[in-house]
Amino acid sequence: MRERVKKVVTRLSRSVGMWLAGLGLMLGLNGNVYADGLPTFTLTFRADGTFDPVRLEVPSGRFKLVLINDSKEPVEFESLPLRKEKVMGPGVKSFVVITISRPGQYPFFDDFHQDVKGTLVVVPKK
Amino acid sequence: MDQVAFIVWRESVEALLVIGILFTWLRTTPQGRKGLPWLWAGVFAGLGLAVLLALVLLGVSTWLSSEGQEWFQAIMALVACVLVVQMVVWMRRHGRTLKKELEGGMRAELDQSNWWGLLVLAMIAVAREGSETVVFLYGTIAAGDSAGMAWRLALAGVGGFATALLTFWILQLGGKLITWRRFFKLTEIFLLLLASALLVGGLDHLVSLGVLPTLMDPVWDSSWLLGTSGGLGKVLADFAGYRAYPALSELLIWLGYWFCVFYLLRRTGGSGTLPKGKSTVRVANATRQA
Repeated sequence: MRERVKKVVTRLSRSVGMWLAGLGLMLGLNGNVYADGLPTFTLTFRADGTFDPVRLEVPSGRFKLVLINDSKEPVEFESLPLRKEKVMGPGVKSFVVITISRPGQYPFFDDFHQDVKGTLVVVPKK
Repeated sequence: MDQVAFIVWRESVEALLVIGILFTWLRTTPQGRKGLPWLWAGVFAGLGLAVLLALVLLGVSTWLSSEGQEWFQAIMALVACVLVVQMVVWMRRHGRTLKKELEGGMRAELDQSNWWGLLVLAMIAVAREGSETVVFLYGTIAAGDSAGMAWRLALAGVGGFATALLTFWILQLGGKLITWRRFFKLTEIFLLLLASALLVGGLDHLVSLGVLPTLMDPVWDSSWLLGTSGGLGKVLADFAGYRAYPALSELLIWLGYWFCVFYLLRRTGGSGTLPKGKSTVRVANATRQA
């Protein structure tokens, strides 16, 4: 009985270990794999407190948005319609992957500077 | 300046409400008091995790990739959702069977797992918004041009946190002014709504990661009626999971959530109130015997 319990425990701990290793791989090493080959756009948080560009046109579907914080303050890219919330320290560059199938206008803003706003315009895919 | 105080208040108030409610619940029963050290341990662990996450957001540390952060946020939100529901169910059952537990003392070991849940919940509640507060305050203060400016900004941050603490205190006062039964009922509804908001937030991350298909996106567009950029729509989004453009899969899971919650609470029964009348005497007896 005890032997069997021991065996189950070893097997369990081994599988948990593998699962954790897999998770680590997913989180760390393969970070960029899922964003490869997507249409890519760039949005910059400028030092003067504006977005560059203020209006960003993208095709419907899945795309990658590179976010660059060029200001000296922390920023938070936020848009519930786009399902995104991303905090970035000063000078940090990062990206988000967004999937939007319905063409239309989607507002986004800097949650740490709420008067800094922009619009994402999704146009039908050609 | 006001903006600094407001943002710190907004970021800390959610965690303080959750911790405050759990604290008040635990304090009301002798059995619950045993959970208090676990609650505080969770708060401290949460502060540690918040600093670690903040280092990633500031770009100082890279232990989490961009995608990793998204996974981490998704997992934190979904785990917190499950733990909140578990706490609510447990409190209901706990209130009902308090007498038996005190007499038997047999469930002490079983409680151990609940205390771990409590610890993790407190930790996530603090870490989720705490990391953003750390980044915001650190970055804003670092950006302050002169030393005097930085001090004033730091002061505004402290002011914001103090306002959040005041909110916490008003909550505690509320627990004294209204009956325990009503306080429990109200906070229970609040926590279940908050858990649904955590669920939708976690699902948003999963959709972004491409793990959860949307089925149909969006099902409707209610932004003309109630947008989520500010005001009531934003509050409902943060505390009840409202979305102006919901995806079908998220909507179905949201409905499933409420179905499960109602089923669980029905099965658990009880209203979460303390045993009254005769049983209180028994409790007193049991305590004396112990």
